[in-house]
Amino acid sequence: MMEEAASQLERDHVHSVYDKIAPYFNDSRYKAWPKVRQFLLDLQPGSIVADIGCGNGKYLHINKEVFKLGCDVCRPLVDFAWSQGHEVQMCDGLHLPYRDGCFDAVLSIAVIHHLSTKERRIRAIKEMARTLQVGGRIMIYVWAMEQKRRKFEKQDIFVPWNPNPHSPSGFNAEHATPRRRAAAQSASEAIDNTDKHRKVRSTSSVADEEDLSCTAPQQSTQRLWFFSRSLDSVFDFGSLSVSRSSSRDLSTLSSPTGENEANKVSRRGRRQGLIKQVSSFFYPPSAIGSEEDVFDSAPGLNKGPNDPGGNNNATTTTTNNNNGTENQSVSVSLAQECGSLALPDLVPFLKQSGDESRGGLQGEEQQQSTRSPQGSEGQAEGSCLRYYHVFREGELAELIENHVEELHVKHSYFDHANWCVVAEKVQVWRI
Amino acid sequence: MKLLTHNMLTSHVKGVTKGYPLLIKATEVKVNEVDFNPQFVTRMIPKLEWSALVQAAEELGQRQDLPDELVPEYENNEEFLKKVHRVLLEVEVIEGCLRCPESGREFPISRGIPNMLLNEDEV
Repeated sequence: MMEEAASQLERDHVHSVYDKIAPYFNDSRYKAWPKVRQFLLDLQPGSIVADIGCGNGKYLHINKEVFKLGCDVCRPLVDFAWSQGHEVQMCDGLHLPYRDGCFDAVLSIAVIHHLSTKERRIRAIKEMARTLQVGGRIMIYVWAMEQKRRKFEKQDIFVPWNPNPHSPSGFNAEHATPRRRAAAQSASEAIDNTDKHRKVRSTSSVADEEDLSCTAPQQSTQRLWFFSRSLDSVFDFGSLSVSRSSSRDLSTLSSPTGENEANKVSRRGRRQGLIKQVSSFFYPPSAIGSEEDVFDSAPGLNKGPNDPGGNNNATTTTTNNNNGTENQSVSVSLAQECGSLALPDLVPFLKQSGDESRGGLQGEEQQQSTRSPQGSEGQAEGSCLRYYHVFREGELAELIENHVEELHVKHSYFDHANWCVVAEKVQVWRI
Repeated sequence: MKLLTHNMLTSHVKGVTKGYPLLIKATEVKVNEVDFNPQFVTRMIPKLEWSALVQAAEELGQRQDLPDELVPEYENNEEFLKKVHRVLLEVEVIEGCLRCPESGREFPISRGIPNMLLNEDEV
């Protein structure tokens, strides 16, 4: 039951979102993290490395002395990676199609935070460990709950996609040149992309950066994220019903859409109804007035005192009139700009190129100071909300230490808003 | 899909115990030119299931005179290494499918990419 809800959530808020936003991922902002690059460069020549959840393949060109392959569930991204000359497959991180112990190293960069239950995250790590040789190493990066000077308020969140953060962007020259295959255009062309301007941008070389930031279609200002309860807490230890408190929260959603949700739910079969209840529970419209409110440090947020895991925004007033279907129940009238805050997967925009080491703080501040000239308008793409379970300090290492005996944590650190672990595969003896 | 990749792939359909190696049915194969790096090939060989490589090359009609067994001291045998290099890295399946030897389940390869995603009833 939980499995089904978890898969459904991931289908709706990870897989289908990435399918839609794939063309934007060829942006130069999505560079390789330096420590990941170094991990790859340090590998012995002749190693075999797998990038599980490789996306557009941005790590697959690093280190010509090793054999790299990548896999992902997102077809458009995998197509793009292939067009760059990489060996890639479609597959799911919970069921890897590789034989035991065939890799010398594995990467999992910003992937497992998209899995919606702890059990699935553990399974994904165990699957990757299975494919590692004894002595081989895995590097895992996940979004951190704790960001510079603040942290996400909750661990299970939805983050709207913003294709137009304020940093000017162009096509990464590194990826633009080696179009070794005739199908180079396939990624952009294959995707149903009604935004012609974007299409052009994703295939052109770095140029007209000023133009792009001014003339790109203005994205509506969007809420940064929406709090949710972890699926782990919604289900009451194997019971099939949504826990009482969450049902109550659902019914107190003051949005008309919230009520419609409840009505719709009652008309469906129980099983489907449960999934709908659970997933609609993840769209609580919240009145969050400023960027600071979404974080712990803000006083403005209406918090329930004894409900750390719950939805604290049950009593919000919804100013949102734009909720359409159940997939667009996102409050959009809040003047909050998604792009003003650096998200953990973006390398901050730098004026001088190549200076990645200093980029962290400087870039974030730059992004904060630039505001879009236009106010909020229209509808946020409710269907472009990405689900994340952001990790607390120590959580990833603990997960491995307590649940994955075949891996030993070697290094654990914080990097550019991510928690990172490097772990080594060890032989586990069973008597 | 290169044959080096194929050497790592296995059928992971639930319940299958003999899902390796996957049988290849190719409708489009390309042979590219890839820079030869003898050290790279030498280091790859111990990581391979050799018989699976030979079988795959055979299925594609690309085996040429690749031996059934590894030749001794192949590190110094440039001619041998070049043959291995060719089948591992230059031969590429663009269209076709990979078939599980136990269940018969076929995983399509299209545009060079094997789709190993399982259906709900196969996990």
